[in-house]
Amino acid sequence: MTPEIEPFEQRLGRQPVKPVPAAWRAEILAAARAAQPAAGTARPSPASWLASLFWPYPRAWAGLAAVWGFIFLLHFSLREAPPTLAQTAPAPAPSPEAVAELRQQQKLYAELMDAPGPREADRPRLAAPKPRSQRWDVAAA
Amino acid sequence: MQMPHGLDIARLYDEHAQALYAFLLNLTRDEADTRDLLQEVFIKLARDEARLCGVREERAFLIRLAHNAAIDLMRRRGTRDRTRENFAAETSSLFAPASDPDAATFRDELAGALAELPAEQRAVAHLKLWEGLTFEEIATALAIPPNTAASRYRYALDKLRGRLRPLYEEVKQAES
Repeated sequence: MTPEIEPFEQRLGRQPVKPVPAAWRAEILAAARAAQPAAGTARPSPASWLASLFWPYPRAWAGLAAVWGFIFLLHFSLREAPPTLAQTAPAPAPSPEAVAELRQQQKLYAELMDAPGPREADRPRLAAPKPRSQRWDVAAA
Repeated sequence: MQMPHGLDIARLYDEHAQALYAFLLNLTRDEADTRDLLQEVFIKLARDEARLCGVREERAFLIRLAHNAAIDLMRRRGTRDRTRENFAAETSSLFAPASDPDAATFRDELAGALAELPAEQRAVAHLKLWEGLTFEEIATALAIPPNTAASRYRYALDKLRGRLRPLYEEVKQAES
């Protein structure tokens, strides 16, 4: 940068620009007033409504929404597939031979259960168990 | 004119119309186009008041609107009357008339030198020299990177300096 550039820039910046014609103000404001939507009927466009909702960081909000969308997509894509019709269909009816076999097994089991005399584990205890120290004395005797 | 949500279009006009007018006149170099574009900017604001919702730098935002409108106009015009750019004598000068002949000559030469710049360099030079914006503010207003704004300004200033150097030296000597 040459040393003359500073005063050169200053000289350029000092040149006064033309003023805006005064007559334009009324005309432009009248045109703007005519273009203004009537009170009560003004309805913000979806884009402007979203912009006002997410201002002042619309890009950050959009990024966050994109991340959530990605998470949901990932979640649904990794979810287990629902059971197919083949898996949920009722099993076919058992054959008569299998039913007869099952009944025979049930009968055998009933006979075993009805065997006389309770098992050792089921026999009621006559008295409460003694303390461990007394049981030692009994064993020693 | 008070608008819903407090948008005062008259206040906006009084505060920013002069800057927008000069910027648009420097870009279009045509009074009628400048008036149409200025009106277009304020009509857009009136139609969609939410545009200014949350805007911190009104001036930069309005300059951006004006710049976009001017670029659209230039693109529309570009195909059908490209020769318009060549009629420098017909263009409107950006600067106020001067009573001093030297000053008037310098302003005429400056207007001519500005007219020779590409529109994007002229926009950056205008915002830097006559609006006093920083490169960051210019970058925000014109939606370009700050480095681009700085380089465009440097190119523009070099061209202006090259074109105006003899006259500038004369004026400096006359003043000293």
